[in-house]
Amino acid sequence: MRKALLTIAYVLLVIPAGLVARALRDPMRRSWSPSRQSYWQN
Amino acid sequence: MSDLVLGISAYYHDSAAALVCDGRPVAAAQEERFTRRRHDSAFPARAVAYTLGEVGATLADVSAIAYYEDPALKFRRVLATYLGAVPFGLSSFRDTLPGWWTSKRRIVDVVRRELAGLDLGPVPEISHRRHHESHAASAFFVSPYESAAVLCIDGVGEWATTTIWHGQGTRLKPVVEIRFPHSLGLLYSAFTYFCGFKVDSGEYKLMGLAPYGEPRYADLIRERLIDIKPDGSFRLNMRYFEFLRGQVMTGRGFEKLFGGPRREPEAELTRREFDLAASVQLVTEEAVLKLARTARELTGESRLCMAGGVALNCVANGRIIADSIFDEIWVQPAAGDAGGALGAALAVAVDRGAGRAHVGTGRDGMSGSLLGPAYSDDQIAAYLTAGGIPHRRLEPAELTAEVAKAIAAGKVLGWFQGRMEFGPRALGARSILGDPRDPRTQSVMNLKIKFRESFRPFAPSVLADDAKDFFDLPQDSPYMLLVAPVAEAARLTVEPDSGRTGLDLLKVPRSVIPAVTHVDYSARVQTVRQRDNPPYHQLLLALKQETGSSVVVNTSFNVRGEPIVNTPHEAYTCFMRTNIDVLALGGFLLQKSDQPEWKEELDWRTEVPLD
Repeated sequence: MRKALLTIAYVLLVIPAGLVARALRDPMRRSWSPSRQSYWQN
Repeated sequence: MSDLVLGISAYYHDSAAALVCDGRPVAAAQEERFTRRRHDSAFPARAVAYTLGEVGATLADVSAIAYYEDPALKFRRVLATYLGAVPFGLSSFRDTLPGWWTSKRRIVDVVRRELAGLDLGPVPEISHRRHHESHAASAFFVSPYESAAVLCIDGVGEWATTTIWHGQGTRLKPVVEIRFPHSLGLLYSAFTYFCGFKVDSGEYKLMGLAPYGEPRYADLIRERLIDIKPDGSFRLNMRYFEFLRGQVMTGRGFEKLFGGPRREPEAELTRREFDLAASVQLVTEEAVLKLARTARELTGESRLCMAGGVALNCVANGRIIADSIFDEIWVQPAAGDAGGALGAALAVAVDRGAGRAHVGTGRDGMSGSLLGPAYSDDQIAAYLTAGGIPHRRLEPAELTAEVAKAIAAGKVLGWFQGRMEFGPRALGARSILGDPRDPRTQSVMNLKIKFRESFRPFAPSVLADDAKDFFDLPQDSPYMLLVAPVAEAARLTVEPDSGRTGLDLLKVPRSVIPAVTHVDYSARVQTVRQRDNPPYHQLLLALKQETGSSVVVNTSFNVRGEPIVNTPHEAYTCFMRTNIDVLALGGFLLQKSDQPEWKEELDWRTEVPLD
C-alpha cells in the first residue's frame, strides 16, 4: 500500500516538480563547462 | 569546573562518540568495537556510555552535545536529488523517503530520545554542525599548528563534498567548496563498487590493488567521467553514475566504458581490475594535488590539515609531501565519519571558549589517537584465571624483550596494550605484529592469520628516529596515513619483472623489509615516538636491540570482516582462531603451544561477514 502511494506521489508530484526545476536550473548542476576556469562555489 | 562536550556521529556508517574536556579529546570510540558489527551505523549507545564512563561522568556533567551534521540541510539535498533524478529515481524515492520523512530529517530528536534512554542523566542541549565543518574541526583544532590550510574531501555529507578552510588559532573559516553530486569520494567508491568491493569499506583495498596495474584507463576517466580544472575543482559526468537514481554506484554506462559488467564480489581479480584501480588512483592523486595547491594559494599557509574519507587515501597524502606542496601535513587519524563526532564536539567546545592548549608543545592534541578503552592487568588477570587460560606474568622490560625475541624468530604476535585506537588504523595498541624481513610474512599473515585477500599489503611501524634509514619520508607519520617510497639504501637489486604481472609481482622481494614493501616500492609508514605510545616504542627499541632494525609489520588485531578487538576476551578469541603464535595481553604472555584446544560449536568464519 505504502509502495503504491509513494509511486503515485512520485508520478504526480515529484516528476512534474523535477521537470520544472530542471527546466529552470538543474538542481544537480551537472553540465560541464569548458569555458569556466573553476567549479568552486563560495 | 571542566567543560565537557560530547560529540556523536551516527546513522550513516562508522557511528562514534567522542568526549572533549576543555577542548581536549579525552575519550573516543567507534560503536563497531562494542557491538562487533563492522562499520556499525546504529546510535552509538555503548560508545557514549564508554566515553562518559572513562572520565567518571554522566550526561548531567556534560555541557553540550554536538551532532556531526545538519539533518535538515541533508534532507533538502535528498529532496533536490529526487527532483534532479526524475524520471528515473522512483526506486530511490520509494526506498529512502519513508526513513527520511519519519526520523532522519529530525535526527536530533532521535538522538535526544536515544540519550534519554541510556539512563545516564538529563540530556543537555544538542546542537549540530555541518558535516564538513565537523571534518575540518577534527583536522585543525587538534593539529599541532597555530594556523593552517584545511582540506576536507569525502563522499558527501549535506551538500559539500570537498571544502577548503583556513584555520587560525581558534577560528576556522570556510573558503570554497564543491557540492554534491560532484564528489571525489563517490568517484572512488564507484570504482570500488565496479571492482567488486564494498562501498564505504573496500576503498582501501582498491588503493592497495592499484600498484599491480597500469593506469591505461586514466585518459578515459579524465575525458568521460571527471572534468578537473587546473585549480582542482571538478565535476562528474552523471550520465555514467547511478547513485542519483538508485542504491548502486554504477550501471550500463560504466559497463560500456570499461568493457563489461562489474566484477562480482570474491570473483577472481583480473588485469582489468588492476588497471581500473591504478587509473582511478592516478586521477584521484592528480585531483588531490591540485586541490592541495589551491588550498595553499587561497590561504597562504605552509601547513595543511586533512580529514574526510578521501584523506584516508594515504598514497595521495604521500604525493602531497613528495611534491612539496606544503612544508608539512597533518591528517586526522579518524578521518572518516567517526572522526566527525570528535570534530563536532571540538567545534562546539571552541565556540564555548575552549583553547588549543597543545599548540606550541610541538605535539598534536590526539594523545596518539589512543582514546579508547583500556583494561588493567588486574582485569586481564581475572579474565585469564576465570577461563583457566595458561599464561605468564612478566615485568614490562621482560615482556618487551620476549616479544622482540619472538618476532625476530619469525613468530606472529598479538599485541594488546593500553587504550584502544580511535580511527580505522591499529597503531600499536590492538595490533598483530610480525617480522618484515622475512619474505614469507606477507602471505602467512594474509592467508593464515587475517584470512584475507593475498594481494593486500602490510604496513610497517618504525622508530621515528630510524625512519629515514628505511623510507624517504621527510616528516613524522604517527597515524599510518602517509605512504612513502622505501629508501634506496634499503632496496634490493631486483631482476627485471619480465613476464611477471598482477599478483605475481608480489613474489619478488624488493627490499630488506619485503613484507612491508609494496610492488611499487612504497610503504604505508607509521613512525613511533615515545611520547605517543610508550609501550610500543619500548618494544621497537627492544626489537632493534634484537635484530638491528626497529621496523615491524603492524596490522590490525582482527580477522577479515571483524572490527578490531576491544576486550581481552576478543583478543584471546582472535588469537585462538588464527595462527597467531604468541599473545602479549597487557603484562601477560600467552604461548599458543600452551593453550588448550580451541572449540567452537559453529564455524566462526561463516558468522563473520566478509568486508
